Amino acid sequence: MHPIRILTAVPICDGHDSAINTINLEFIHHGIEVIYLGYHRSAKDIVRAAIQEDVVAIGLSTYNGGHIEFFDELVDRLEKHRLAPPIKLFGGGGGTITHEDAEIMYARGVDRIFFAGTPLEEMVKYLKAAYCDVIQSPYDFAFVGSDQFLARQITLAESRNGCVPEASETVPTSNNPDRTAKVIGLTGPGGVGKTTLIDELVLRFLRSHPEDQRVAILSHDPSIGSGALLGDRATMIYSQNDRVFMRSVATRGMMGGLSVSTSQSLKILIESNLFEIIFLETVGTGQEAIPFGNEESLVDKAVLVMPPDYGGRLQLQKIAMFDVADVIVVNKSDLRGARTALAEIESRIRTNRKGQGLLRTQANRHRDAGVDELFELLLG
Amino acid sequence: MTSLGQVIFAAENYRRFVSEQVLKARTDAEFGEKVLQRWREEKAKIGVTITPTGLPLPRLALPDVDEPGEIARFLCAEGLPGEFPFLTAAYPEQYLEPAATASKGNGNRQNEDTRVSEEPTRLFAGFGLAEDTNARFHYLSRNQRSKRLSTAFDGPTLYGVGAGADGVFGKIGEGGVAIDTVEDMERLYAGFELDQPDVSVSMTISGPAPILMAMYLAAAKRRFGPDVGPKLRGTVQADVLKEVQAQNELIFPIEPSLRFLADMVDYCSGEMSRWYPISISGYHIAEAGATPVQQAAYTLSNGFAYVDYFRNRGMEVNVFGPRLSFFLDCGLDVEYLALARVCRKIWAIGMRDVFAGDKRAQILKLHTQTSGRSLIAADWRNNLTRTALELMLACMNATNSCHSNSADEPFTTPSAEYARYAAHAQAILLEESGLFKHMMNTLPGSPGMKVIGNAVEEAILEEFREIEQQGGVIGAIERRYQRSQIQASGHKLERQIYDGVRPVIGLNRYKDPAEDWPEVSMSRTPKEKKQLQQERLHAFEKRHAKESERCLDRLSNVVESGGNVFEELTLTVEHCSLGQITERLCEIVGKFRPMV
Repeated sequence: MHPIRILTAVPICDGHDSAINTINLEFIHHGIEVIYLGYHRSAKDIVRAAIQEDVVAIGLSTYNGGHIEFFDELVDRLEKHRLAPPIKLFGGGGGTITHEDAEIMYARGVDRIFFAGTPLEEMVKYLKAAYCDVIQSPYDFAFVGSDQFLARQITLAESRNGCVPEASETVPTSNNPDRTAKVIGLTGPGGVGKTTLIDELVLRFLRSHPEDQRVAILSHDPSIGSGALLGDRATMIYSQNDRVFMRSVATRGMMGGLSVSTSQSLKILIESNLFEIIFLETVGTGQEAIPFGNEESLVDKAVLVMPPDYGGRLQLQKIAMFDVADVIVVNKSDLRGARTALAEIESRIRTNRKGQGLLRTQANRHRDAGVDELFELLLG
Repeated sequence: MTSLGQVIFAAENYRRFVSEQVLKARTDAEFGEKVLQRWREEKAKIGVTITPTGLPLPRLALPDVDEPGEIARFLCAEGLPGEFPFLTAAYPEQYLEPAATASKGNGNRQNEDTRVSEEPTRLFAGFGLAEDTNARFHYLSRNQRSKRLSTAFDGPTLYGVGAGADGVFGKIGEGGVAIDTVEDMERLYAGFELDQPDVSVSMTISGPAPILMAMYLAAAKRRFGPDVGPKLRGTVQADVLKEVQAQNELIFPIEPSLRFLADMVDYCSGEMSRWYPISISGYHIAEAGATPVQQAAYTLSNGFAYVDYFRNRGMEVNVFGPRLSFFLDCGLDVEYLALARVCRKIWAIGMRDVFAGDKRAQILKLHTQTSGRSLIAADWRNNLTRTALELMLACMNATNSCHSNSADEPFTTPSAEYARYAAHAQAILLEESGLFKHMMNTLPGSPGMKVIGNAVEEAILEEFREIEQQGGVIGAIERRYQRSQIQASGHKLERQIYDGVRPVIGLNRYKDPAEDWPEVSMSRTPKEKKQLQQERLHAFEKRHAKESERCLDRLSNVVESGGNVFEELTLTVEHCSLGQITERLCEIVGKFRPMV
């Protein structure tokens, strides 16, 4: 059986994330895959993410009031998409949501409100009972080109563990065969800033490319037991945009940085012909990982992102990606040791004689020149 | 070593200094005699209070010691009220009723600072539109000698989002007051004589603080003339570091946020000499789940990080130092018996010995709020007792101002009824009871309080050492250190409550099976009011359409050229709304990337 996938978030103009952080942890330890969108998120962003992630339910933690209106807006927005099955809504807000409020919200289509003092176990139990046997069938071809169609294709690929789909599930070929997506893979140790780099690259893409051009992100996070906390969306700013299709993928037991269904999902994204660029982000990887393959690479360009503090020159020799990456980026280059890192990495890759690119970036800085340069190198 | 490392060093040094002084007072006869002489002089200065029951008492209770070593220990390690290291109190005669005419001795002490005569009550309020909150302010302060207003803003305002923005309609005026323009700001404090010394205004806002503060100044100028700046008294929270660590209401990235803050502090230190342009806050850190020690350690270290930042910009510590203020949570954990006292001491040592601040810069001026997190929905009237106890602890720690929570806060913005009980709790403690009004230092100094104080002090320094190892406050923030520690503590706390390890009466112990849901009147902002706010904003923007673009361009230029952004904002707000300004600033400096 596959894990229940849900999306959790805190509504717009609300930063109370203490409760949801605790609840998220409880969910994932009980085998649920949680895509966490973060706090201060609009209904529009939440619905877009829920559809792209093809979750069965959305859970909201709200403490700043206005919950009736906010849930209402979610219901309205979800209804417009004619989702099958409909995405369920649940939530809580301590004592701020009264029983009378809940009645109004139930009447509008909200599935369940948890009141103050509800034990965490009870929430888990409810989720497992209510959302475990939701059947997600392929959408009708009338939906081709929509995010929900694409998202469901990926869900099906995941549930087949990456096996080749039945003929009936394949996507019809595009009438625009010339348009081919460029796949850019980003890998590197955990916490190095891969997600931030992608978000900044997306910003530059959105600004420099025509309005009708889109970008996709396939972002991996590790499974913990059978659950997973997929939190990359929460730190993204510019990728909360209709021109971006993002999918968070749990590794579900596969080692090496990707999931068993990654290549199928990637194929679906490429063949949809909806995207100019596809970013493929691995989980935080170790020294031996070559996640995109060596000879027959999954990606057109492989980027290795490194922090300035990797523990010395000798450690560099052990990192296999240095021999495979097209571009190496030293991120967080404002930190101590960045110059040494650049020098040491340069001598590490020089012997490869492959003309690999080496750049320094500070992705958390607005309008960082290093990220501009990386964008030019990858997409210019 | 960062400046925090130097603070650790200074605090350790100070401990050695205290031990040396004690030893010297005992072994060096001449020095010992000097100490005894000082002690006699201090005792002679103390006035006398006659209680209503006719009992004469000194206005300051000193420890009952006559041995030079112990006297030296008290004077150095704790200090008289208003004297370094300020463990006992920031000022002399806090909370005391004015001296009776018959008081003997030198009465100078009580008049040293006018602030001591102010009651500490400062109740946090904000809901609906500006006029609703204004009416609540008038109601809450109607019996007070001094009008001490404290403003809560709604979600859209806290995030710098206009009331007309997509998807925020439901949030308008919920949990705080909706402010979009300088005109809203005028309505908010209408009828209060902001230029008078007995009125002070506090604004709980951080992300867009410089913009709201500029609106306040502009609104005050409209009513009281262009020279009103130096007369205005109050505080704006503006604590961006704790937003990153706990409260999540930051708009711009850390670097520009610090720069805008420094611009405001710089301006206010010069032009608004009675204003506190920052309130370094642990409240939200504690509410997010931090332990008391974590709250104290992160708040103090954030404070030192600000001082370091301002100093590196060339600002003078003795100019901005006295304008820094603090805000702590007070819950029911035993650490709160001494937490704020220890904070005052560590701050004073750091400011004196690391940053060379003078006496005014050394004093940690504190606002305390009782713990909102400790209040629960189950059997909710127990919250009255919880708040009363926390209030007692806050006063035992000699807080300079205090907000006591309303018992109905787990459900709603405080109703007028429970806000009144909350205010009265303070009056009962400080005016009705004799515990605080006759004598300073009535309750501190017990063996237990000292033991807890010492343990807390060491634990705070240990947290400092961890932060220092990660490259100081900013380095630790980038490694998510404080955030993850706070979250881990919060998770543990919830677990302990669910497991019953932490008794919460009415929730996991002595649960009342009969009670289902309390009958509390919820205060909600009606739809019509929300629409009115949108209409007002729309009308303002339309009326100023001609000037707003030009003003925003001017603002952009100041940001790009490195000028004082706050000074420019005081002009921008005349023609631009909060949402317009935030949007423009985000275009130039980017948006804060959320940490999770």
